[in-house]
Amino acid sequence: MRKLFSSKTAVILMVSVMVIVGLITGSNWWANKTNTPPFFQRAINDITGGISRVIAVPTNAIGTRANSISNLMSTFDENKKLKAKLDGYAQNQVKMQTLEEENKSLKKQLGLKATLTDYETISAVTIARSPTTWQSQLVINKGAKSGLKKGMPVLGDSGLIGRISEVNTVNSKVTLISDTSEDTNRFAITVKGSQGDVNGIITDYDADQKLLIMGQVTESQTINPGDTVVTSGLGGSMPSGILIGKVAKVTTDDYGLSRKIYIQSSSDLSSLSTVLVARTEVGS
Amino acid sequence: MAGWQFIRFRIVYPLILILLFFIDGNIMSSFGVFLLHSPFHIIPTLTLIWFFYAIQFEATSFVPYYFYVVVFGLLFDVYYTGIIGTYTVAFLAATILMDKLRPYFDERLMSGMLLLLVGLLTYLVVTYFAGSMINIANLSLFSFIIQDVFPTAALNLVLAALGYYPTWSLYQRLI
Repeated sequence: MRKLFSSKTAVILMVSVMVIVGLITGSNWWANKTNTPPFFQRAINDITGGISRVIAVPTNAIGTRANSISNLMSTFDENKKLKAKLDGYAQNQVKMQTLEEENKSLKKQLGLKATLTDYETISAVTIARSPTTWQSQLVINKGAKSGLKKGMPVLGDSGLIGRISEVNTVNSKVTLISDTSEDTNRFAITVKGSQGDVNGIITDYDADQKLLIMGQVTESQTINPGDTVVTSGLGGSMPSGILIGKVAKVTTDDYGLSRKIYIQSSSDLSSLSTVLVARTEVGS
Repeated sequence: MAGWQFIRFRIVYPLILILLFFIDGNIMSSFGVFLLHSPFHIIPTLTLIWFFYAIQFEATSFVPYYFYVVVFGLLFDVYYTGIIGTYTVAFLAATILMDKLRPYFDERLMSGMLLLLVGLLTYLVVTYFAGSMINIANLSLFSFIIQDVFPTAALNLVLAALGYYPTWSLYQRLI
């Protein structure tokens, strides 16, 4: 009978598979461990990022136009809903301004210079997104030159979408909140329940339903669908109080010991043409 | 004349490859609303289609073909994910398989599309399993096939079919 593989081919195949697995897992581990990528990687990223920025101009322009046309279709319904919300919004804005001023003067009295709710934003444009691993990363047009650092939170149109995971000179990679790689740092979050706050971390992402999952919740406070989820600020550089989304549903695990909270992200993770990077004084 | 044409192909082929490398990522960020419209996810694979054309029109011997496959695989890895290996292996596996199967297919459009489909499936399956290894692929295999593979194959096959004769004609002029 004719042999399918010679022993030499089999050995080469085996060694190649081992090298590839080692490369993928090793580079993933290294990327999470280091603050800045090695020089050659940074150089490639800066050069390709520069060209990508030029090519992104026409594609972004076409994409924005197409998006505007599709938005136009739903304008009527949206307008009706927004009008209903507008009265409450004006009232809230006045209340927020008063609270902000009060907060400022109280901080001054206490001698607090920076807290976890103090941050300023740097706007950036998305220049590329990984085609196959679109749910975990994107590339933005600001880097170390604009003061970006690894770990800074990134905001979308209405809430947190991820954090800076790699900083090059003129561009950076953003790891999205929907990324569930085992090695990446988890996002510390708080569910603002009716009976008090429930702290935890984002443990998973359900790509089928497009919902974030806060797993292994053992606290007994009631959590209802519609409750707001924000960043807790626990763990260092992430400011607290950044909106993440709303609770979509709550389930219990197979043994009934802990709960799983499904969260609907407030930002549309499929449409991220412009983002804001939050620079906080605490932890930087 | 023939010599100049040969050099022309050696220049034009990688230039288009570079352009498509950027366009793949830009399309994903600019048209995310449409491509990632729930429940389907369409992944643009224009670079792979360009690699396929070289195999289908038997032009791989005129350029350092597998060198380009590895280089662009690495570029995809470094620029888009920072994780070395996933795209490189996916591009290599898809192109090697298409190259090996090419003698069993002919130049007709439908035959070419079938060969591309094999390459596309290989590319997507490799990236899926490489993603599972580091826990990036958080879609069940069944959902991946229904939500990612079918729509991606449909769009890319249509794009490849649209570009099939223009590319064939371009290759005829350049080689």
